[in-house]
Amino acid sequence: MNLLALQTVTKRYTATDSPAVDKVSFDCEKGEIVALIGGSGSGKTTLLRIIAGLAIPDTGKVILEGNTLNSPTKFIPPEKRNCSLVFQDYALFPNKTVLQNITFGKGATDNPDRIIELMEMADIVGLGQRHPHEISGGQQQRVALVRALATSPALLLLDEPLSHLDPELRESVRNQLIMLFHETRTTALFVSHDIEDAMSMADRMVVLREGQTEQTGNPDELYRRPASRYVARLFGKTDFIPAELLQETVHSIPGKNDLGQVVPVRPYQWRIVDKDFTGIPVFHGTVKSVTNRAPHRELLLDTGQLQLTMYLPGNHVAKCGDTLSVIFDSEN
Amino acid sequence: MKTFLKLFFVLGLLAGMSVSAAELNVYSHRHYDSDAILFKQFTKDTGIKVNVVNASADQLIQRLISEGKNSPADVLLTVDAGRLHRAKAAGVLQPVNSKALTKNVPASMRDPEGHWYGMTVRSRVIVYSKERVKPSDLSTYEALAKSAWKGRLVARSSSNIYNQSLLASIIAANGSDKALDWAKAVRKNMARTPRGSDRDQARAVAAGLADVAIMNTYYLGILANSSVPADREVAAKVGVFFPNQDGRGAHINVSGGGVTASAKNKKEAIRFLEFLTNAKSQETFGNVNHEYPIIIGNNKSELLKSWGQFKADDVNLSILGAKNAEAVKLFDLAGWE
Amino acid sequence: MAEVLWHLTSPAENWEHMRDTVLGRYLKGSIILVLGTGTLSLLIGVSTAWLVACCEFPGRKIFEWLLILPLAIPTYIAAYAYFDLLDRLTPLLIWVRTNFSQDAMTWLNDMMLYPVTIVVLAAVLYPYVYLVARATFTQQSNQCMEAAHTLGHGPYSTFWRVALPMARPAIIGGVALVIMETLSDYGAVEHFNVPTFTTGIFRTWLSMGDLQGALRLAACLMALILLFLMLEKWLRFGAKFHKNSQADRPFQRYKLGQTKAGLAILCCMIPLVIGFLLPLSRLTYWASLTAGKTLDSTFWSLTLNSITVATISGLATVVIALFLAYSARYFDSQTVGATNRLAILGYAVPGAVIAIGILLVAEQLNSATNLILTNSLTALVLAYIVRFLAVAWQPIDSGMERNCTQLNNAAQSLGVTSLRSLFELNIPMLRNALVAGSLFVFVDTMKELPLTLILRPANFETLSTRTFDLAKQAQIPESSVPALCIILVSLVPVIWLNQQIRHSKQ
Repeated sequence: MNLLALQTVTKRYTATDSPAVDKVSFDCEKGEIVALIGGSGSGKTTLLRIIAGLAIPDTGKVILEGNTLNSPTKFIPPEKRNCSLVFQDYALFPNKTVLQNITFGKGATDNPDRIIELMEMADIVGLGQRHPHEISGGQQQRVALVRALATSPALLLLDEPLSHLDPELRESVRNQLIMLFHETRTTALFVSHDIEDAMSMADRMVVLREGQTEQTGNPDELYRRPASRYVARLFGKTDFIPAELLQETVHSIPGKNDLGQVVPVRPYQWRIVDKDFTGIPVFHGTVKSVTNRAPHRELLLDTGQLQLTMYLPGNHVAKCGDTLSVIFDSEN
Repeated sequence: MKTFLKLFFVLGLLAGMSVSAAELNVYSHRHYDSDAILFKQFTKDTGIKVNVVNASADQLIQRLISEGKNSPADVLLTVDAGRLHRAKAAGVLQPVNSKALTKNVPASMRDPEGHWYGMTVRSRVIVYSKERVKPSDLSTYEALAKSAWKGRLVARSSSNIYNQSLLASIIAANGSDKALDWAKAVRKNMARTPRGSDRDQARAVAAGLADVAIMNTYYLGILANSSVPADREVAAKVGVFFPNQDGRGAHINVSGGGVTASAKNKKEAIRFLEFLTNAKSQETFGNVNHEYPIIIGNNKSELLKSWGQFKADDVNLSILGAKNAEAVKLFDLAGWE
Repeated sequence: MAEVLWHLTSPAENWEHMRDTVLGRYLKGSIILVLGTGTLSLLIGVSTAWLVACCEFPGRKIFEWLLILPLAIPTYIAAYAYFDLLDRLTPLLIWVRTNFSQDAMTWLNDMMLYPVTIVVLAAVLYPYVYLVARATFTQQSNQCMEAAHTLGHGPYSTFWRVALPMARPAIIGGVALVIMETLSDYGAVEHFNVPTFTTGIFRTWLSMGDLQGALRLAACLMALILLFLMLEKWLRFGAKFHKNSQADRPFQRYKLGQTKAGLAILCCMIPLVIGFLLPLSRLTYWASLTAGKTLDSTFWSLTLNSITVATISGLATVVIALFLAYSARYFDSQTVGATNRLAILGYAVPGAVIAIGILLVAEQLNSATNLILTNSLTALVLAYIVRFLAVAWQPIDSGMERNCTQLNNAAQSLGVTSLRSLFELNIPMLRNALVAGSLFVFVDTMKELPLTLILRPANFETLSTRTFDLAKQAQIPESSVPALCIILVSLVPVIWLNQQIRHSKQ
C-alpha cells in the first residue's frame, strides 16, 4: 500500500490567477525518497504545504497511511498529521535552545535515546544549550532536521533542504541526509530546484511545471527519457534536434509549437568523426566559440541550420573557424 | 541641540514680530463666551485689537515672571482673587488709579493699592434636591459637617480653586483647627470620592445619588441654559441655598484683573478694565455667563434674580489669597482628595 | 531636564507636608493605574491581535482596522464621555443604598473609581499593544508557528509556547508606551480625580503655587518611569530576535467554528464599543445638539491651527529624529547613543513638566530671545519635539536598523560622505518610516493638551485647548464638537498608517 497518495489536488490563491497546483496526483511508497522538482513558481512548495496541512487545497484528496487528510469535506489540522516539515529557513524558535527546539515536538521526549541517537547521527551533540543564532547555517539545518525526525513522523517533508548551504557543505550534508534517511528508514518527500540534489538523493522524482505534473519516474528514467523539453532542460544544456534528422529508433519528444518530434541531445552525446563518415546522419559545421568549462571544453558548432553545443574530448584541438563533423551517439 | 535652538529662534523671530501700538495683549484664565463677546465690542468701540492668551492663572503668572519686563502682556485676568493676590506678591502687577474703576468696583472687591480690580462675582452655595431637602433643613457651611448629612453630600476635588477659596474663608472666619475639622467631617459625609466638575455635582443631586452639593452659582446657570435637555432637567430639579445668611454671609469670590508691571499699553489697559466693569459689560457677564456683577445689587439677569437676594461674606478677598496654600494643606490633611 | 534637576537641590517648603500626606496617595494611584491599565491593554491588545492575525471568522478583515480606531480618541475626551455615561449606574447605586446601606453605596461608588478609570484608559490605549502584537504575529512568528503545527502542537499550545514568547519583546514595547501614556495623562485622571503624580504636579504647582514642590514630584515621576524603562529593558534582555526572512506566504488562519467565531466577534466588539463607538456616539449626540452654537467661523480657524501646528511639529520632529538616529548609527559613539536614549525619554515626561522646563530655560535666556520663544509657536513646537521625539525616532531607528545598516557600511567603504549617504541612501529607503513617524507625531500633537495649554502664544487656540476650555466651563456637551473634530482629523492618518502596515505585510 502507498504511504502517501495525492489525488487531483488543486489549489488557487486567487480566483483569477491560474492555479498554483493543478490536478496533481502521485504516490509515495513506504521507505521511498521522493523529490519534487521544478522551477520557481511550479507549485512544488505549495504542494508540500498542502501535504503538511499548512495550506488547504480547493479540491482533491491527500491520503497518508490510509487516512484521508484533505478532501472536500474534511481537513485534518497539521498538528494531527503524522508528518513533519523541515522548513527552508529552518524556522527554529529563536527564543529556545537547540535542545528545547528538538524536544518541542509532540512525543519528542517519549524516547530520549532516540533523540540522543539522532543528535549523534546529525553531529550536533554538543550544541544542545546554544541558541539558534549561535550556531552555523549547516548546524541549524541539522537541528531542524533532527527536530522534525524527533517526532517519529511517518513521512518527512523537506522544503529545499540544501538551498542555504554553500557547495562544499552541500555535498557533505547531502551524503549525511542520505545516510540518515536510510538509517532511520524514513520516508521522505523533498522539494528542490536543483537537479543534482534530486538525482543523488531521490529514489523517484516528480517534475512539476506551472502547477501540473510533467513527469514522474526514477532519476535515470527521467534523464534517459524525458517526457518534454522542460524535463530535458532540467538536466542541463540540451540541444533539441528534429527527429527526422536522426535515426528513428531514438527517444523523441514533442517539439516547440508542436512542430514535429525532437530529440534531446546532451553535449557529450556528440562525437567527432571524419568528414566523410557514413552510416548514420552526420552534421558538418563551423566552430563558433570554445569555452573552457573545466573539466570540459564547451564548443558551439554552427551547421547553418542548427547550433549544437558539445564537449570537446581531451585530445582534440579546435579553435574558432575550424570545421568539424559530428554524429549523435546515444550510448555515450 | 544648540544649533537647533538657534534655528528655532530665528524662525520664531520671523513669526513673532507683530506687536503694534493699537493692540492690547491679555493673559486670561477666563475662557467664557461672554469675554469673547465683550472683547469684540471693546475693539469695535475703541479700535484697539485684543490679543488673548488663555491658560490657567498660575501658568500665566509663571510665564509673566519668566518673561520679565519684556513680557508682551498688558492685562492679566483670573477667575479668583487668590491668584490676583499671588500675582501681586510675585510683582507682575502694577498699581493703577482711575476714577471710573474706583466708581465701578466697590472697595472690598479690589486691591487697596490698585494692583487689581474685581470684575464679576461668583458665590459658592449649597445646591439641594427640591424633592428630598427643604430649604429649612439648611443653614450654614458649618452645618454640613453634621452627621445628619452623612452620605448625602457631594463636592468636587480639592484641587479646584473654588473649594480652596471656600476653605480659606472658613479659616479666616473660624481658624485653622476648626477649618480642618470641618473639612474632615464634610469629607466623611460625602456620598462618593470627589470627582468631576461642579456640573457633575448638580447632576449627582438631580439623579438622587446625593441630596446636597457645594457648587458655584454660575454652573447652575450654564446647566439651565444648556442645549442638552437632560442638563436643563437637572437644573430644574435642584434649588439654590445661600448659606450663613444670619452670620457672615455666603462665600463669594471675584473674577478680576490687573495691569501687568511690564505693560507697554498701560493707558489702553486701564481703559480695558474700565470697559469690563461698566454697567453694560456687567449685564453681559450676567446674561451670558450667569455671573453676578461686581456690585451684586445691580444684577439684571432674570435667572440670577430667581435665586433671590443674598448677603455676601465681606471678608477682604486678599485674605483668601493669603490663606490659599494653607487651605490646600488642610485639604490634604483632611483626606479630601 | 537639567533645569528640573537644578531646582531640586534647593529646599522646598511644602515637601515635608506632601511627604506626610499625599505622596503615598500619588504613588498608590499611579501604580494601580499603571498596573491596571497595562494589564488590561495587554489582554485586549494581544487577544484581539491574535484573533485577527491568526484566526478566520466573519468580519475579521473589518475588525483588523476597526480595532485601531480608538487610537484617535484622546484619553481626556473618552473620560468626559464616560463620566456622563456613568450616571446610568446611579439607579444601581441607589438600589444598593435602599437595600443595603449608605456605606455600601459609598463603598461601591468609590470602588468603581479605579476600575472605571482603568477601563477607560485601556480602552483607548490598547491599540499600541494591538498594533505591535498583530505585526509580530503575522510577520515575525508566522513560520515558527507553522513549524510548531507540523511538530504536533495545536493552536493553543502554539500560541502559548511559540507565538507569545516570540512576540514578547514587541509586546513589552507596546505595553511600555501604554504605561507612559498612563503616567503622563492629565485630562482623564483629573476629571475622575484619581490621585497620580501628574495630577499631583499640577496641584502642587497650581494650587499651592509651589513650583519647586511640583518639580520634586516630577522627579519622583521620572524615577518611576526610569524604573519601568529599566524593567522593560530587563524583560527584553537577550530577546532580540531576528526577523524571519520568509514572510510572504499567507498564514493558513484557523477557521473558527460557529460558537468560537461568535466569541471572537464578541471579543473584538467589546474593546471597539468601549474604546470607540460608545464615546463617539455620546459625542455625536452632544454635537447634534450644540453644533449650531459652536460651529462658527472661529471654529474653522481652530481646526486650521491644530492642523498647522501638528504638521509643523510632525515634520520638525522627524527631521531631528532622523539626524539623531542617523548620527548614532553612523558615528557609533557612546555619547551620541546616550543622547538618543535621553532624548526619547521625553515621551515619558508629562507635557506640563516639559512646558515648565521650557519656561525655566526661557527665563535664563536673554530677554529678546525669551520673548520670541514664548510669543510664537517656537516654544510650542520645541516642546512638542521634546515630547514626541521618541514617537518619530522609533520607526526611523528600527527602519534604519533593518534596511540601512549594510547600505551605510557599503557607502562608508566606498568613501561616500556621511551627508550624501544620508540624503541619497537613507532618506529614500526610509520614506515609509519617515511618513509614519511624522504622522504619529501629527496625531499625538492633535491630541496633546497640557503642554499646549501652557505654551500657546496669544490668540492661538487649537481644537484640544478649546475642548478643554469648554469642558472646564462645565460645557462638556459644547466641547463635543471640537472633540469630534480632533477624532476625525486624527482618524485619517491612523487609517492610512494601518493601510501602510498591511501593504508592507504583503
